[in-house]
Amino acid sequence: MNTVPFSLRRALLIAQNTLLEAARQKLLLFFLLLALGLVVGARWLRDFSFGAPELKFLADCGFGAMAFFGAALAIAATAQLFFSEIENRTALTLLAKPVWRAEFILGKFLGVVAVAAFFCALLTLLLMAVLRWREGELMREFPEAFAQGGVVSYGMVALGGLLQWLKLAVLVALSLLVASFAQTQLFTIVTGFFVFVICHLQYLAQDAYTRAGSWFAQNVGGGLASVFPNFQLFALADSLNAADAPPTAHVVRVALYAAGYCAVACALAVYCFRKREI
Amino acid sequence: MSANVSSKLSAAVPAVEIRGLVKDFSSGLRGLKLRAVDHLTLRVEAGQVYGLLGPNGSGKSTTIKALLGLLEPTAGECAIFGVPSGRVEARREVGYLPESPYFYRHLSGRELVRFYARMCGMGGATLESRIDEVLALVGLTAAADRRVGTYSKGMLQRIGLAQALVHDPRLLILDEPTAGVDPLGTAAITELILQLKARGKTVLITSHLLGQIEDVCDRVAILDRGKLILEGAVSDLVGRADRQALVVEALPENELAELRAWLAARGRKLETVETPRTRLDRIFLERVGKKDA
Ligand SMILES: Nc1ncnc2c1ncn2[C@@H]1O[C@H](COP(=O)(O)OP(=O)(O)O)[C@@H](O)[C@H]1O
Ligand SMILES: [Mg+2]
Repeated sequence: MNTVPFSLRRALLIAQNTLLEAARQKLLLFFLLLALGLVVGARWLRDFSFGAPELKFLADCGFGAMAFFGAALAIAATAQLFFSEIENRTALTLLAKPVWRAEFILGKFLGVVAVAAFFCALLTLLLMAVLRWREGELMREFPEAFAQGGVVSYGMVALGGLLQWLKLAVLVALSLLVASFAQTQLFTIVTGFFVFVICHLQYLAQDAYTRAGSWFAQNVGGGLASVFPNFQLFALADSLNAADAPPTAHVVRVALYAAGYCAVACALAVYCFRKREI
Repeated sequence: MSANVSSKLSAAVPAVEIRGLVKDFSSGLRGLKLRAVDHLTLRVEAGQVYGLLGPNGSGKSTTIKALLGLLEPTAGECAIFGVPSGRVEARREVGYLPESPYFYRHLSGRELVRFYARMCGMGGATLESRIDEVLALVGLTAAADRRVGTYSKGMLQRIGLAQALVHDPRLLILDEPTAGVDPLGTAAITELILQLKARGKTVLITSHLLGQIEDVCDRVAILDRGKLILEGAVSDLVGRADRQALVVEALPENELAELRAWLAARGRKLETVETPRTRLDRIFLERVGKKDA
């Protein structure tokens, strides 16, 4: 009897179809408008220029928007693109083909991660453009503050975008894990949001674990800290200077950390989805 | 094992085998169980057109989902061409049209069929011509580049048939293919099933309109509340060997009396005299079909 091995090709086909669905549903359009809002917002900032630190402020705003709206996009897109298959019963036809359920989960994951990649790349490029334009203006206004040339390292901005994307990939994997056993889209979105908050505050739990006096706080803190990823790891240092760039080894470590969480969450999602009734 | 023996063995493997299938759904409240399929045992031989009939809610779709590995049975087992349903390999030779199908609205008909074909491992130079072929077979060539979101119910049914047929599977499973389809569409589906049968394919078809698919099925099983209540060859079930119908030109009253006397002389009786009626859907087919052609 011939076997049907796991096929990355089929997973990629599902990912491509998922990405196409997101694109044609104009899910991204909303976020494109948002990015446009960012540019307009930056233009409004012109009214209270405060020299070189303003660029740092702009970058913080940009990454803040990327983190917040990116998280909203990651959770909503995962829930929407997963449940559209279940609720419209397209998963019925798809899984009646010689397709592994693991291929379905991996395909959905890669598809939404690709959506997140588009989002992060777009916002990073826009942020770069805004910074470049504002930097030029400030240089003309305060030439003495920029005696050694520009202060913005665009490599750092790109790295910041990359780290945001890695973080969103982890969030997509976690949301997919929730979706794999959740009965409704709403539950997935709400739970995904809580997961996002917990991951952002995870370092507090870690603190509690190491410093708390009470047995309870220590155990709860330790439990949370060991299950949820720490999203603070994906933030850049407080500088846009190339001199303050994190060492490559650190970036690689963070990327592996993200990949590890994605792999574990996807594996658990496959496990939960394995026997799900379609 | 000699080639001869192995080919004989493979001929004996049924296309579908369901043994002691039970499926309970928990209805949620107070752990109440609903038994959708109750100890069902069925066997569909390769090359047959098999009808799974029964009223709404009798467990037909549930049986098919269990057969395709989309539902975990509570008890019992299913196999397709001898491969247990839980395995991915079991679905390689199957084309499936779900009940009231619904497909990716964002794709065009052609993209949709291409997607499913590639999911079945098809590719290369022959793919596009095969897609054109099945689109023509289901009569969707003109609408192939329209978004599936704009398709009517009948067109969804047809694009569903196209994706089920595109990889030329040995077994076709059609869940309520004629539900909500007009007589013209039903006739086309019937015609298609007969074509597939002629090419040696196995077709498993479900319907709640018991009469509608009687004409095409070799064998039928009738389910009621999950239980098998009747199974057998259609000719055995509906044919009445002890009766015959003769259709003649209208006879005047006196000739009819003569006929009765003739029969009575031989110890037989004329049971009914009636004017045969054509069916409305047949009239519809004749009129509409002619105009279309
Ligand atoms: N996912 C489900 N959860 C609970 N009950 C279900 C589910 N699917 C089907 N049923 C019930 O199982 C029975 C059989 O349904 P189904 O197989 O769809 O019937 P049919 O296809 O013959 O109309 C029905 O009573 C239906 O309500
Ligand atoms: Mg049904």
